[in-house]
Amino acid sequence: MRVTDKLKRLTGETDKLPKLQSSNETINELRRKIDTVIERSRRIEERHSASFKGKAQPLESVITGEEIVNEHGTFYFTRSTFHESSSHGCRMVGDLADIDMRAAGLIAGSSEIALMNPADGLYLDTETTGLAGGTGTFPFLIGLGWFEDKNFVTSQLFARDFPEEKAMLNFLQEIAAQKQFLVTFNGKAYDINLLSTRFILNRLEDPFINMPHLDLLFICRRLFRHRLENSRLVTLECGILGFERTGDVPGYEIPQRYFDWLKRRDARALEDIFEHNRLDILSMAALNAHLTELVGTGTNPPDTHPGDIMAVARLFFEYGDSVLATKLYEELIHCEYTEVAKETRRQLSLIHKRAECWEDAARLWEIMLADNPLDLFAVEELAKFLEHKKHDYTRAIELIEVILDRPVAVAPFEHDALIYRMERLKRKSGLHLTDNGDNENPE
Amino acid sequence: MAKLTLQEWLHRAENNPHFLENVTALKHIPAQNGSYAPYPDWIHPRLKEVLKGRGIHQIYSHQAHAIDLIRNGKDVVLVTPTASGKTLCYNIPVLQKILEEPETRALYLFPTKALAQDQMHEVHSLIGQIKADIKTYTYDGDTPDDARQAIRKQGHVVVTNPDMLHTGILPHHTKWQKLFANLKFIVVDELHVYRGVFGSHLANVLRRLVRICRFYGQEPVFICCSATVANPKEHAERLLERKVELIAKSGAPTAEKTFIFYNPPIVNRELGIRQSALTPTRNIATELINNNIQTIVFATSRLNVEVLTKYLKDRFKKKSPVSDHFVTGYRGGYLPHLRRNIEKGLRERRIMGVVSTNALELGIDIGALDVCIMAGYPGSIASTWQQAGRAGRRSGSSVAILISRSTPMDQFIVEHPEFFFASSPEHCRISPDNLLILLHHIKSAAFELPFEKGETFGGENLEEILNYLEEKGVLHQVTDRWHWAAESYPADEVSLRTINPENVVVVDITDTGNHKVIAEVDWDSAFTTVHDGAIYMVESRQYHVDKLDLERNKAYVKQVDVDYFTDAMTYTNVRVLDGFDIKKPGKIIVEHGEVQVTRKVVGYKKIKFYTSENVGYGDVTLPEKDMHTTSYWFTMPWDLLDTLKLRREEIIDGLTGLAYTLHHLSAVVLMSDIRDIDRCIGDKSGEWFVRHGNDKRMITSSPLSGQSDAQVMVDAYDPTVFIFDAYPGGIGFSELLFVQHDELLRAARDLIKACPCEHGCPMCVGPALEVGPSAKQAAYAILKLIEK
Repeated sequence: MRVTDKLKRLTGETDKLPKLQSSNETINELRRKIDTVIERSRRIEERHSASFKGKAQPLESVITGEEIVNEHGTFYFTRSTFHESSSHGCRMVGDLADIDMRAAGLIAGSSEIALMNPADGLYLDTETTGLAGGTGTFPFLIGLGWFEDKNFVTSQLFARDFPEEKAMLNFLQEIAAQKQFLVTFNGKAYDINLLSTRFILNRLEDPFINMPHLDLLFICRRLFRHRLENSRLVTLECGILGFERTGDVPGYEIPQRYFDWLKRRDARALEDIFEHNRLDILSMAALNAHLTELVGTGTNPPDTHPGDIMAVARLFFEYGDSVLATKLYEELIHCEYTEVAKETRRQLSLIHKRAECWEDAARLWEIMLADNPLDLFAVEELAKFLEHKKHDYTRAIELIEVILDRPVAVAPFEHDALIYRMERLKRKSGLHLTDNGDNENPE
Repeated sequence: MAKLTLQEWLHRAENNPHFLENVTALKHIPAQNGSYAPYPDWIHPRLKEVLKGRGIHQIYSHQAHAIDLIRNGKDVVLVTPTASGKTLCYNIPVLQKILEEPETRALYLFPTKALAQDQMHEVHSLIGQIKADIKTYTYDGDTPDDARQAIRKQGHVVVTNPDMLHTGILPHHTKWQKLFANLKFIVVDELHVYRGVFGSHLANVLRRLVRICRFYGQEPVFICCSATVANPKEHAERLLERKVELIAKSGAPTAEKTFIFYNPPIVNRELGIRQSALTPTRNIATELINNNIQTIVFATSRLNVEVLTKYLKDRFKKKSPVSDHFVTGYRGGYLPHLRRNIEKGLRERRIMGVVSTNALELGIDIGALDVCIMAGYPGSIASTWQQAGRAGRRSGSSVAILISRSTPMDQFIVEHPEFFFASSPEHCRISPDNLLILLHHIKSAAFELPFEKGETFGGENLEEILNYLEEKGVLHQVTDRWHWAAESYPADEVSLRTINPENVVVVDITDTGNHKVIAEVDWDSAFTTVHDGAIYMVESRQYHVDKLDLERNKAYVKQVDVDYFTDAMTYTNVRVLDGFDIKKPGKIIVEHGEVQVTRKVVGYKKIKFYTSENVGYGDVTLPEKDMHTTSYWFTMPWDLLDTLKLRREEIIDGLTGLAYTLHHLSAVVLMSDIRDIDRCIGDKSGEWFVRHGNDKRMITSSPLSGQSDAQVMVDAYDPTVFIFDAYPGGIGFSELLFVQHDELLRAARDLIKACPCEHGCPMCVGPALEVGPSAKQAAYAILKLIEK
């Protein structure tokens, strides 16, 4: 018997056994269910391929580009320009080129990038045959972008089949050699990682191994988490860049469309992928411009969400620049977004406290209490300050009593801590009074 | 009462006629002197210094031999008993090479994570003493993500298991470029563990490993170690698909050991029932532990581990207020931290008694115990020696006691001690070209590197399989190369240990607000151990299974305290799909080929503790499980059987008994695990089969045949005895049984003839209550009729 026949039998694909009438209802029931599932998935498949009915279209007629030939073979190449006067969301492409490189370096955590030119940046995004990772995932489309004057140029390297990979990667090496740093969205964990695997598999030198790399995902997560439901690029486009895609191909469809292309050579399924990829790259450029402005000198773009500024302030503080952090926070103390104002006061008061600028800190706690006398954080901090720095036990006791009168305001363990503090304060204030010869009973 | 030493206890036992009555063999294995060799002159002075510092002034002859061969680039397999210093055989050449060429890398494979940990510590301490900049790490599912990158780049010696190599390393080989580009040694320890399904998988993982090494221009040396088996060289060569040098003569001295075979007394001659092996096990273990003699008890099943642990815990609780952990259970399914605690307790001798499955059989460091009791033959001679080796690993004397159960296999071994002590233990067999296994690994290999035209992988027609996979849409062929062209990650689709990688998690819902995961059960055993109504035991605590939720892979249990445990009842139905070979000795037809096996758990028995009474039944509704595998079978025409002048029911009973005997003897003849094969009586097309119900036997027509009157079917189709491989696709046993058909029948006749029982017992054709009162006579008559 042929191996394939044996296999088919083992995997249950062919049923060469005599068809027996099943007397068992549950088995029939199960079979019906299975049939329904198979039917359903068949219909989905039909619908999927129905969108490209008629004669298959060759690549050249759908996607403008050319075949490139080099020592390793051939691949397909496209190049196009977003002119400086065109717009992307709420910005002009021409405005994106002028990047504050010091801010870019800060975001990337790379002092090298801070010294480079915006035009030396290579924006990169790949489209692949899956998200599983590992050696069996193939990046069939490598999208690149860079600024030429004020225009944004994108070029796409496309492997029309697996054997074109090496020529494509070789060309990528050449482009990379002309650039100084990388800009990606999640490229550290994904795209560059994957390309590194592909370079090894094709026995080519990896040009990105020591190239400074600005991955926008991390910083976006940090700055916009407070107001966006996730950090996917399309969400950021919508929420940050004011750009909305129409008819975008969903990411999960991309691998299957490429597999279909390999089989049917109908380029119509690819058109949306090329467009999707080009937009991804342009959005990265727009995002980078926006982020570097935000993180730049501390002068914010107009209409910036106060929460974003607060997130930037926190970032600066973590990078050790508490002066700039303080400056940004100061502007937000009386912000109309109450949550932002509250968190700002809290963060700023802690900066003052750490710097032992007690009066500045106390001023903020007083503001917080004026807003909400039950603010546990402010009560505790102010009580500590009054107890240890001011020795004003009476005021401290008053603050705590207010909150203890409203037991629902605090959790049980917090309640215990407050009681403990108050008892200590009362003891101290008793001693204090006694020291002063006052006869009043502290109880 | 003064405590006895082990020597005193043994002396008493040897002079106790009551005890000796049941002893079928008592063998003193004397201590043996070692045979030594000097260190080779090329060995690095610091390495030598460290080893000498450990008191190793010269090495054993087998170590010298191995080191020399490895140095010369030969692939080797070492067969050495426990505690013969096998780890130095690979650690010396590996560390030497790294000291000479610091870029050198080595990969160590152990079958379990626990063994890998042990070995890593061993290498680590050597390196620490050498004070060399050599890094060694374990890499497994427990390795934290942030440590992985450093291990990939810097680890000189990476210690891992086949599963991790399969799912975590090979599919990401580019991340391991540094390792593969410098890989000079691959160590495969506990080689004998890799047989059957696991071994067939490993052979394929190694095919993939070698393929990846070649991509990076490396041809590493393989160093394999194995317990004593009959065919170590053949097994290693089949696993590695290359010639290997065998080193079988150990130069290590061995300590004195006493081996006792104990056959429990017959309590009912008529039914041929012996006392349960658990009873003497419990008594002897109690006595030993009472005397502060540290004892390990091996039981043959997880259930027996729990039952015995409960018995022993009960005994010690009654006697004195000892700690609850004075005796403990140990088995897979216990959570890792609990297992680590038990191992530590044993090393520190805080735990004086442990009851374990074969999980403790391999080289996990639990120190040297005094006595090993095996409650039931472990299923293979190699396992028996390994388990016995857990007592007295280093020096002094030790005792190993094998207590037999009432199975033909156990009885055969204890009643034929010369077979055990003289013969080479069993053969390791694998079937790397089992199509299902091969197919999985070809997919994984294609994911790792595209296949080129002309490449080979396994013994089947690779190109045909590649084309098949292209047809399935997972590969894409272009210019003589097959590329992986699917979104999935094929290595995740298959587990090396079982055909089905799924697990069922056991969740304790006793405390409503605090659900706890207490164990994991593999998918196949879930059907028999955690079905609705089962009593599941962990650490001798009992849990009642409220609900087995197969969709969510969870079993919900509540802690209970009942006086019984449960034992699942299953039925099996076989039908022939394809015959590979046929012969007709006499008037019967003997064949082997491919079959479809359908199994179903239909219910369970409640069995009372201590008395083993049957105190009730329960029904279980679980789906059937289908499997295609290979089988050996023989068919006897009714015309022939009817000449016996027996009633058909009697003939069926006789065949049931005969199948029981043949199943057990097949395991002995093949020297395989009894669970690797299974049996069924029916007809070739699966129209009817024999099934065991609540204390009675019945003939059932196939659920697919639509014929409700089984008797009609029985008359219409000649009866067939099936002995089949218990794994999908088969692992090569059936063909061997087909070849050995005559020997098998002869051994069966001898066994039945010699058995002292009257109407059949567990030691020959099975207990009369299960197989029927006339089974023994009928089976014997049938055998005489069909033997050539």
